[in-house]
Amino acid sequence: MTIGPNPPAPEPLPSPAVEALGLHKDFGPIHAVDGVDIALPPGRIYGLLGPNGSGKTTLIRLLTGLASATRGRARVLGVDMPSRANLARIGYMTQADGIYPELSVWENLTFFAALYGQTDRADLLKSLEFVELETRTGTPAMQLSGGMRRRLSMACALAHHPAVLFLDEPTVGVDPALRVQFWDHFHRLAADGATLVVSSHVMDEADRCDELLFIRDGHVLAQGAPDDLRARAGTANLETAFLKFATGWTAADSGSSAAGTATVPDAAGPEETDR
Amino acid sequence: MNPLRVAAVFRRIVAQFRRDPRSLALLYIAPLAIIALLGWVLSSAQSTTSNVAVVNESGLPAGAAVATRLEAALDGQPGIVLDRSVADDSTARQMLKDKRLDLVVVLPPDFSLQNRQIELLTLGLNPAGEASVVPAVQKALLSSVAQEAGVALPTIERATVYGSPDATQLDSLAPVVVGFFAYFFVFILTGISFLRERIGGTLERLLATPVSRAEIVLGYSLGFGFFATLQVAVVLAFVLGRLEIPALGPVPAFAIGLGVRTAGNPLIAYLLVLVLGLGAVSLGIFLSTFARTELQILQFIPIVIVPQGLLGGFFWPIEQLPNLLQPVARILPVTYAIDGLRQVMIAGSDLSSPQVLLDLGVLIGIAAVFMALAAATIRREVA
Repeated sequence: MTIGPNPPAPEPLPSPAVEALGLHKDFGPIHAVDGVDIALPPGRIYGLLGPNGSGKTTLIRLLTGLASATRGRARVLGVDMPSRANLARIGYMTQADGIYPELSVWENLTFFAALYGQTDRADLLKSLEFVELETRTGTPAMQLSGGMRRRLSMACALAHHPAVLFLDEPTVGVDPALRVQFWDHFHRLAADGATLVVSSHVMDEADRCDELLFIRDGHVLAQGAPDDLRARAGTANLETAFLKFATGWTAADSGSSAAGTATVPDAAGPEETDR
Repeated sequence: MNPLRVAAVFRRIVAQFRRDPRSLALLYIAPLAIIALLGWVLSSAQSTTSNVAVVNESGLPAGAAVATRLEAALDGQPGIVLDRSVADDSTARQMLKDKRLDLVVVLPPDFSLQNRQIELLTLGLNPAGEASVVPAVQKALLSSVAQEAGVALPTIERATVYGSPDATQLDSLAPVVVGFFAYFFVFILTGISFLRERIGGTLERLLATPVSRAEIVLGYSLGFGFFATLQVAVVLAFVLGRLEIPALGPVPAFAIGLGVRTAGNPLIAYLLVLVLGLGAVSLGIFLSTFARTELQILQFIPIVIVPQGLLGGFFWPIEQLPNLLQPVARILPVTYAIDGLRQVMIAGSDLSSPQVLLDLGVLIGIAAVFMALAAATIRREVA
């Protein structure tokens, strides 16, 4: 199980790996992403946390070039997105499984891998072993359980050893034991230099990230290591911390500063699945 | 353009289809079933008989003489049963209404060799069917009156430059059904496949890979073109071929295939339908942009498919269409496919014919336009 990013390019990765500069995305009157500025150095795991409709998925789509920004810039590995050539170095696991139900496990994997020019059978088999589907190569995806489909979807996103990985709710429906393995693997990938951006709503998962970005109404409320965010909010609970930052931002909306340290924890919780 | 990525898309579509027996049946069995039904109806429909009566209301000798000659001429003609029992006009009309008669020849009270007005009376509920017996009766009537008047009628021999004058409806419809089915089924299947790609999240995933829109459209065209090719081969073989199966035990003898004669090279017919089908692939991709559900793809049938059937030369030649509709017909791909197929299969034209080349050229042009439209609508921004 050694699925690291491609080692052949020894030149140092540009820093930061993922960057947003004044990024806006409007859908009519709705500001789905409303002025996001981030700069994420490589080799770490970043967690995007926020409730349903907070703009996490739209932010990921802007960063992968699947959506075009209304204003501002999205850069990955130093290249302005959208860039088709740059997509070869990016992996994206969508929230929907995005696999072909009629095709077998192996056909799905080899298809997506081939689009990246990855045809090394032994290496692809390793990707399947990692998600524990190596005995299911001939099974049509429609006969897999929800968790197995999620695992196949993950294998398809990892097969070409991307330097930057966007994972939108990667562990939904995956059983707890495998979830632990996934996170161990994410950390190995990060240790090998890959940058991971993981959206999640599960707080115990959030704790496994190197750094968290609290997102609400298209804004980044706060950014920092989980412990740092807890300390700033003055609570031992990440969920409470999120609520404090969320209400703090709402209170400061008409005022001057964002990302404050307000104290009234009564905003909607971040437990819903983003869409 | 990376051929490996195009090949990957192509292989994926082939693999997907292999696992989808219903779509395969739609592509290969449904057209054959419909064509077989059509062939059966068209080739067995002419064996009906018409009950014909002659009513002479004229008191003049010419009336009786013409009526006698006419009855003699009609009696025993194939497809005509003569009823000599009908005495007057009102009885004849009642018998028409009761469906005991199909056609009545009425010689009016003032009929004479000078006043030669004759009435042919039918019910009027089924104009096309009733008209089928009229020529034979008219011919017998003309010769009866001419003989009575002592005039010799010229003999008329019917001939055609292409095909033969006794060509059946099936012969002229065969090229049309071949082209139309290829278009219809390929459009439906591509439209729905691509819609699934859009709503199932796989298009989002595809667009997050380095694959280009042109590569997707090309891979789709090759994949569906592959199945369309097989479909056209099967349909053409069925329409052109005929396999007689002898009676075996309780199973009576029957034939598989329509055995329609083709004057030209079937390979050129094949080429025309293939280009038409490639256009249908891209049209399906393009229109899937405007659908959110599979039902909405089906809603395009009255907009996209039916007008092509009505205006493309399926039932009427383009030249007979109202002036306003003629330009519409001339931008429909099916129009050119049907014209080209008729040129090849009936007139025996080949690629040296400017008409066939024009049809083929226009079809290639239309396919190219649809491909460009399809590629343009596969946006990276899909949501």
